[in-house]
Amino acid sequence: MTELIQRVVDALSVGSTYALLALGLTLVYSVMNLINFAYGMLLVWTALLAVPLIDSGLPAELVVAICLAFTTLLSIAMGRAAFRPFLTAPPVTLLITSFGVELVLQYGALLFFGENPRILRVPTFLNEVLFIGGVRVPAIELITIATAGIVVLGLYALLNRTFFGMQIRAAAEQPDVARLMGISPARVLTIVFAISGLIAGVVGLLWFAKVGAITPRSDLEPTFKAFISIVLGGLGNTRGAIVGGLTLGALEVGLSAILPPEAIGYTDAIVFLVVILILLLRPRGLIGPGAGL
Amino acid sequence: MALIGLRRDKPSGPGGLLVGLGGPLLVSAAVTLAAWLMLQGTGGTTNDIVILFGINALMVVGFQAFVGNTGIVSFGHVAFMALGAYAAGIVSVPISMKAVVLPNLPQFLRQTELPIFWSLIVGGAVAALVALGIGLVIMRLSGAAASIATLGLLVIVNNVLNQAHSITRGPQALFGVPQAATFPWVFGSLIAVVLLSSWLKWSGLGLRARSVRDDPIAAEASGVRRLPARLWPFVLSAFITGIGGALYAEDISAFSPNSFFVAQIVGVLVMSIIGGLNSISGSLVGAALISMLAEVLRRLEAGFTIGPIDVHGAVGISEAVFGVALILMLRWRPAGLLGALELEVDPRPRAGS
Repeated sequence: MTELIQRVVDALSVGSTYALLALGLTLVYSVMNLINFAYGMLLVWTALLAVPLIDSGLPAELVVAICLAFTTLLSIAMGRAAFRPFLTAPPVTLLITSFGVELVLQYGALLFFGENPRILRVPTFLNEVLFIGGVRVPAIELITIATAGIVVLGLYALLNRTFFGMQIRAAAEQPDVARLMGISPARVLTIVFAISGLIAGVVGLLWFAKVGAITPRSDLEPTFKAFISIVLGGLGNTRGAIVGGLTLGALEVGLSAILPPEAIGYTDAIVFLVVILILLLRPRGLIGPGAGL
Repeated sequence: MALIGLRRDKPSGPGGLLVGLGGPLLVSAAVTLAAWLMLQGTGGTTNDIVILFGINALMVVGFQAFVGNTGIVSFGHVAFMALGAYAAGIVSVPISMKAVVLPNLPQFLRQTELPIFWSLIVGGAVAALVALGIGLVIMRLSGAAASIATLGLLVIVNNVLNQAHSITRGPQALFGVPQAATFPWVFGSLIAVVLLSSWLKWSGLGLRARSVRDDPIAAEASGVRRLPARLWPFVLSAFITGIGGALYAEDISAFSPNSFFVAQIVGVLVMSIIGGLNSISGSLVGAALISMLAEVLRRLEAGFTIGPIDVHGAVGISEAVFGVALILMLRWRPAGLLGALELEVDPRPRAGS
């Protein structure tokens, strides 16, 4: 029983990271059909910036604030400079453009921070491990789950209870009508990229606090996980992102628990095969489009 | 009457297919001639560059066969390249070396040593078979979801190649593959796949794929089924890319699973976009232009000296330049240099020409 609860906690922790990642990506997709390959670079930039800030002895809260502000601005800048000119372009063009943006951001990171891995020294309390009734819970996992909960609630409130949120939902569901109603697509895009960047900053810190080392080329893994989560859940809606992320986390943790030792090396391949099989049954994802944002 | 021109379509009728195949064939012959002249002009010192260019051009043609006809960006083509390289590598390592390189290989493979022609076919066939299997699922998805699923394919293949120690040596390099990819083999294969790809483009298969790409609902209403319309270009394109991987294996001789990952996509993607995703002639033009640019950038990365000025290397600059080139091209000329145009040689006058 304890074993099972342990797995559930682990799955929840991994899954909520993926759900957060997927949320940041799916918001942008919902308004402009962009699958942003450069998304992972936002995480990498956040973490790379955090390394020297922490090493210089600034208090952790300040470092987090600076990093989040930076990533939000970087995301807005990326949206304006690289993606706004492509507002009405077909999805293929957008996807390839984002691939180009990823290359440029990566080169920037290489120039500023170099090729070598850097170590993110996190405050000691993050490395502590709590034992709750025999279940082993690292503090970082607890914080991840809590953060994910807060972000999801915040996003829900923003989307459903504010004027900004209404504009975003309108632009996602009926872009042409929204435009006729005086909702500026450029403005919606800026807001969406800002939120996406903020979420990327949060996940970036959590992700690399757990992993430890960052190089300018560390962006692929988080990008892949986010991609798979949104496809699994259903492209372009927040519920799909959350369900997709949690499902992917559960799959990874569950499979690594039940696979025999000789197959454990194949976990990644098997996870992806299962995902592809799920898509065979539900080509539009677990939640599917049409559920609204 | 223009005998040689750039056209979007091919003439109908029995001779039309010949005209449709002739143009891209002419471009590939021209590219081959140019490569040969360069090789002769430099006394063979550019052999590595020329061979690699031929392989890249072939890979771009393979990529175009799927992406151009279906409008789905595939990241999975690196996986097909990897499969082709490993399949061809394993069957062409000399039997005398297999005890050292791959001691745990299954019996029938340990006693196989195929000449280059058959190893290319094996490389292409393995990639095509995997494409057929996984394509049955992936090609049902919508465009964006399908792109991401091809990324999943890349992860699966990479994971399996890294783990299947007895067949692939796992993360260690597979070595001892004979360097059989000479100029005639590489450029002969290029011309062959250009013909194959042009046939696909002008055949009913290509037409159906493009109808689904341009208007899925209208296509379906006209009786075109979506899955096979996308699946066959996927399989054929994987076959071509598998041959490309096989040639690559028999050019560089030693490689590991991580030789084939996302970084490998950059070159092929840039070449296709610059030349024009919808044109085979364009693919070849793009491959030629970007190969030249890549060579210049490679020297820049290594650092060089002009008289007294010592320019330090800029590591990674070529990828950044490719990134910017992608964005600018998509912004100002999204269809690429040639768009959907193909070179055509038409002996018969046509209305409007």
